[in-house]
Amino acid sequence: MSKRNWLVWGFTLSGIVLLVGFPFLTPNNYIMHVSIIAFFFAILASSWSLLAGYAGQFSFGHMAFMAIGAYSTGLYSKFIRLGTAPTGICTPEIKIGDHWLFFINAYGDNCLDIAKKTMPVGTLIYRLPPWHGIILAAIMGGVFGVLVGGLVLRLRRTYLALFTIGFSEIVRVAINAEIAITDGPNGLQLQPLFPNGMFGFSAVDKIPPYYAMMLLFVVSMLFMYWLTNSRFGLFIRSIREDEEAAAALGVHIVRYKVLVFTITSIIAAVAGAVYAHYVQVITPNILLIAQMSLVIAMAVIGGLESLLAAAIGAIAIEFMLELLRELHIGPLVVDMTTWRLVFFGLLLMLTLRFWNNGLLYPIIQRLTRRGVAEETVAKRLAGQEGDV
Amino acid sequence: MENPTIFYYALLWIIGWGAVGGIVSPRIYARKDLDVSQAGLVGTAVGAAGGPISLLPFWYFTPTLNWRWIVVPSVIVLGVFIAAFAKADPTNFCVARSDYLTTQVANGLVMGSIYGLMALGLTLIFSILGVVSFAHGEFYMIGGMAVYYIGTVWFPGLNPLFSIIGAAIITFLIGLIFEVVFLRAMNTGQVERPGEYAILVTFGLAFFLQYLVLALVGANPKKVPRFVQYPDITFPSGAEAPLLTMNVRTFSFFNSITISSTRITAALVSLILLGILMWFLYKTWTGKALRAVSQDRQAAAVTGINPNRMNTLAFALGGALAGVSGASLVQVFSWVPWVGVLASARSFVIIVLGGMGSLPGAFIGGLIVGLVETIGAGCIPDPQRATAYIPAYGMVILVIVLLLKPTGLFGREL
Repeated sequence: MSKRNWLVWGFTLSGIVLLVGFPFLTPNNYIMHVSIIAFFFAILASSWSLLAGYAGQFSFGHMAFMAIGAYSTGLYSKFIRLGTAPTGICTPEIKIGDHWLFFINAYGDNCLDIAKKTMPVGTLIYRLPPWHGIILAAIMGGVFGVLVGGLVLRLRRTYLALFTIGFSEIVRVAINAEIAITDGPNGLQLQPLFPNGMFGFSAVDKIPPYYAMMLLFVVSMLFMYWLTNSRFGLFIRSIREDEEAAAALGVHIVRYKVLVFTITSIIAAVAGAVYAHYVQVITPNILLIAQMSLVIAMAVIGGLESLLAAAIGAIAIEFMLELLRELHIGPLVVDMTTWRLVFFGLLLMLTLRFWNNGLLYPIIQRLTRRGVAEETVAKRLAGQEGDV
Repeated sequence: MENPTIFYYALLWIIGWGAVGGIVSPRIYARKDLDVSQAGLVGTAVGAAGGPISLLPFWYFTPTLNWRWIVVPSVIVLGVFIAAFAKADPTNFCVARSDYLTTQVANGLVMGSIYGLMALGLTLIFSILGVVSFAHGEFYMIGGMAVYYIGTVWFPGLNPLFSIIGAAIITFLIGLIFEVVFLRAMNTGQVERPGEYAILVTFGLAFFLQYLVLALVGANPKKVPRFVQYPDITFPSGAEAPLLTMNVRTFSFFNSITISSTRITAALVSLILLGILMWFLYKTWTGKALRAVSQDRQAAAVTGINPNRMNTLAFALGGALAGVSGASLVQVFSWVPWVGVLASARSFVIIVLGGMGSLPGAFIGGLIVGLVETIGAGCIPDPQRATAYIPAYGMVILVIVLLLKPTGLFGREL
């Protein structure tokens, strides 16, 4: 194995070891919380960079798909219950084995509360486990991804950007307005990610959600890496560079655009669902355009055309946002809650203008490519130009 | 609604047959070796208007298509839709009271003219730079904030005309600086993939401006007093049903149409500005140069117009138009740093509806969107929900346009 490969593997391995071992280094709840949120943003930023940086499709509705995922699982755990006896009034009511599945009505009196008075003593009513909701979130993200993508990806690139901003606003308005279903601006309550705890940790501990979010992050990164290094990755990059040329060479451009849009929507929806179960209350504010801007700033400042750079950018910026919350200048404490975002907005524009590849990508490239030049020179000297 | 099933069946009928017409007609035209470019659109309209009764003869004769084939069926569809609504909900104010409906329509046109002015700025930018400015709503927001600070905080009692001019100058300068620093690089080859760069950098500007204003002025809603204190006038005076009754709060035309005075002022401001803009674009050298660049960049450059300077001018002017529409609407709504988000989403709908880059399209699109929003908010039975969903009506228009005619009403071919 060449020197370069050793370096790449070394970095990857030490990265994973760091991620796994991090909770043991700092068993601090606050830092754990920030790390979980950082992973969440890293998933969103890297999947957005797959969509925008690799495929060149600028969607501003990524947070809308995240919210669709979050609300799918939230509504699933709000409205669906499993019981050992039929209620008789909830409709529809489905018999599964010796259990009944109830759909609680959104309008009027809660049918389950009424039924509890007449149900036989000892009847058990369960909530379904969160992972059901997360699977549902993936399906819903995919369905909406196909619908939105199919509608606008046939058209010019700008239309996608225009449409997704509107779409995201509509989702927000709808969640705000349908208070009976979504609890509106008050926020929808969810059950914790691990309702019964995990490995001896209780439901409120931060360690299990940390590993869950980290696992999701690592799995989605590996999946996206595999995608970008396959023929699929080649196709979507060819679409980014020149749609007509790609079509002329036989790439079915609409199909691949819709496909990459759907895949990234599913990833965003799953991330949203896991996040929702972690924070346990979600409000329509999670899909404000400002949140989307933050994800874009993370991806661009990290490096739009590299999944890893976007993810590291997201993690770095999330930690920096937390550090910059208050600025201590001697005895003076300056509240930076808004100004830090002004700073990142400016940084986003300047990065786009002056550093096309982002701020972190060149560093990552330098680290992973170190030794390439020496290798090439050594091979040249040895007279093996043909192999280079 | 009293009997909503009628309405829903009518809607289902329209959508179902429209889809059938839209999908099948192009294939029939293609099989007969005719021009298919309009067949989908006309097929949808004909199918939605008459269902199988009109579709079968249409498919059999496959007439040569012109604009009448779009307009006539669309009017029929609208008629069927309205009739079904009236039948389903006869007690609705929009159906039972004509003065209510005319008031809604008048309000829609008034708001639409202001939306049109804002969208005009966006479409001007697009026609010359080929860029959709995602920060357009932020210019609108800054225009309103500038009026509040100039007229209410810094110089209380100043004539509002000066605050509007001040707002125009501030937004113009922001647009100018941004174009020179960030967008000019697109034409000099300093950035890779200029199209993507433009989308992202204007979005970045929106993010930056929104938080900058939030950090500077805070999140409390700002309210500006009405610009013009209209006197109490009844014309003709003493009549039982006067043609015009005017007071500080409202205008009443023909004793039935009521519009609040702040909206009238805003619409007047926007119409005056529209006049000035038209004069500028069609009568002055610079305006003609701008239109020349939008038609053909290279040819304009050959005749001695500097396209880069026109870019700067167009972006700054577009920003100022949004700023002025914000400045004239700040007395109507209360103003927070994120009012721009909905305003820009609405402008996108308008320019797609009117056709990207078409100036008359933007204004007419603005009127249509204004009408749809006010009538939707006024006529949908559940009032609370009807107001909450105002942004959604524009999106319905957007989806219909994207499905049927992505080039919009007056758009150039893509």
